[in-house]
This record gives sequence, C-alpha cells and structure tokens, in this order.
Amino acid sequence: MDSYTTGLGVGIAAAVIIVAVIKWLARNKPMSVAEKAEYLSKRRARMLPALAVIFLSQQAAFFSSLGSPHETSAYTVKVSAWLVLSVVILAALATKGFWLERKEVRDLIDDENTRANRNDAMRWGFLCSMGAAIAVYALTLFDVQMNARDAVHIVMTIGIPAALIRWGMLERRALRVA
Amino acid sequence: MPERLANRLKERRSELGLTQAELAERVGVTRKTVNTVENGVFTPSATLAIKLAQALEVSVEQLFWIER
Repeated sequence: MDSYTTGLGVGIAAAVIIVAVIKWLARNKPMSVAEKAEYLSKRRARMLPALAVIFLSQQAAFFSSLGSPHETSAYTVKVSAWLVLSVVILAALATKGFWLERKEVRDLIDDENTRANRNDAMRWGFLCSMGAAIAVYALTLFDVQMNARDAVHIVMTIGIPAALIRWGMLERRALRVA
Repeated sequence: MPERLANRLKERRSELGLTQAELAERVGVTRKTVNTVENGVFTPSATLAIKLAQALEVSVEQLFWIER
C-alpha cells in the first residue's frame, strides 16, 4: 500500500470514528423531528467555527513544512487527510449535511433561513477564494516561486474557513432569541 | 430611506398562545426561522409568508407590511 492510500485511509477512519462518537453520544435521546432539528441546528452553529479552527490548524502543519522535501510519507499522510477533510466540508457546505439522519430531519434542518445563510456563506467563500487567487497571482509577478499544489492549498485555506465562519456567524445570530 | 418588511408575527402568535416552536411546527420550519422572521433579520419567501399567515389565521397583508 502506498503512502497516499494510507493517508486516505487515515482520513476516512478519522471521519468514521467522529461519526461513531457522535452517534454514541446521541443514543437514548428520543426526540421528535422538530426537537431533533432544533438540537442539530444548535450543534451545527457551535460546530462550524470549531471546524474552521481544525481546518486552519491542519493548514498550519502544511505551511510549516513548506520548503522541506514533499515526498516523505508523513507529508503525504497529512496532505491526504487534509484532502479528505476538505472534500467532506465542501460536501457539507453544498448539501444539507447530516447525511446519517432521517430525511424528515434533514429536510427540516435545511429550511428557508438555513438555505439563505448557507448561500450567503458560499458567496463569502467564493469571494475570499477569488481574493486569495488574485493575491497568489500578484505574488508570482514579484518572482515568488510557488508550485500549483501550494497555490491551490493557499486558495482553499482562505476560502473554506471563510465560508464556515460566515455560516456559523449567521446561524448563531439566527438562533439568538430577541 | 431603505424599505423593510415589518410584521406583527410575535403579537399575533402571543394572541393565539403559541410558542415559536409550536408555530414553527405548524408551518414546517425550524424555530430559528420563525425567530429570524419575527425579529426582521430574515425576509421570508412568499410561500413562507402565506404559510405563516394561514397558521396564524390572518391575511398576509395583516401580518406583513412594508415600512419606509
């Protein structure tokens, strides 16, 4: 098994463990569809900024290894795990998320206000990504050496957390009782 | 002066003795959405406005109006 496959496996295993822990914590809590949607909605509002912090801390590990040889196994595992996390976060941003919940709960949790907040977050993510892409492009005009992989990494490091933080902020504001 | 959609959702809901959660369940949205509409943070779609009016037994015009 090559190191890329190992990294991918580590990422998927981490995701499975996280889901199993969440399911185990939620056991013995009988709730109606509305209660469940409310509970998950609150949990999502708390989770989004935390997810942005986890994502950014993974980026710190990547950027600290810039300039060092890229072909080590540890580097490959880190990059593959990051890639899995990025795809999962993007899928959660683009869809209703909570894929293991019942359809009624998923439909309710993705109601009109949530969709509006999610769309606004995606807009922020896009604008921040484009801003980062322009900045990277401008940097290369001043003889800064950067390969395509590093450039993509920088753009995603800005874009994904921007969308997560914006969505988290909007959800928290919406949940606040007047 | 920007226009905003004002509403008497909270007032009407209180008249009927409903909580935000109960109204949300009647309309098929989360409490969060009812809360944001009530506070003027979120402008509902025509569909949701009609559903809210029906759930609160008033017309849409009685529930929402444009404030200048």
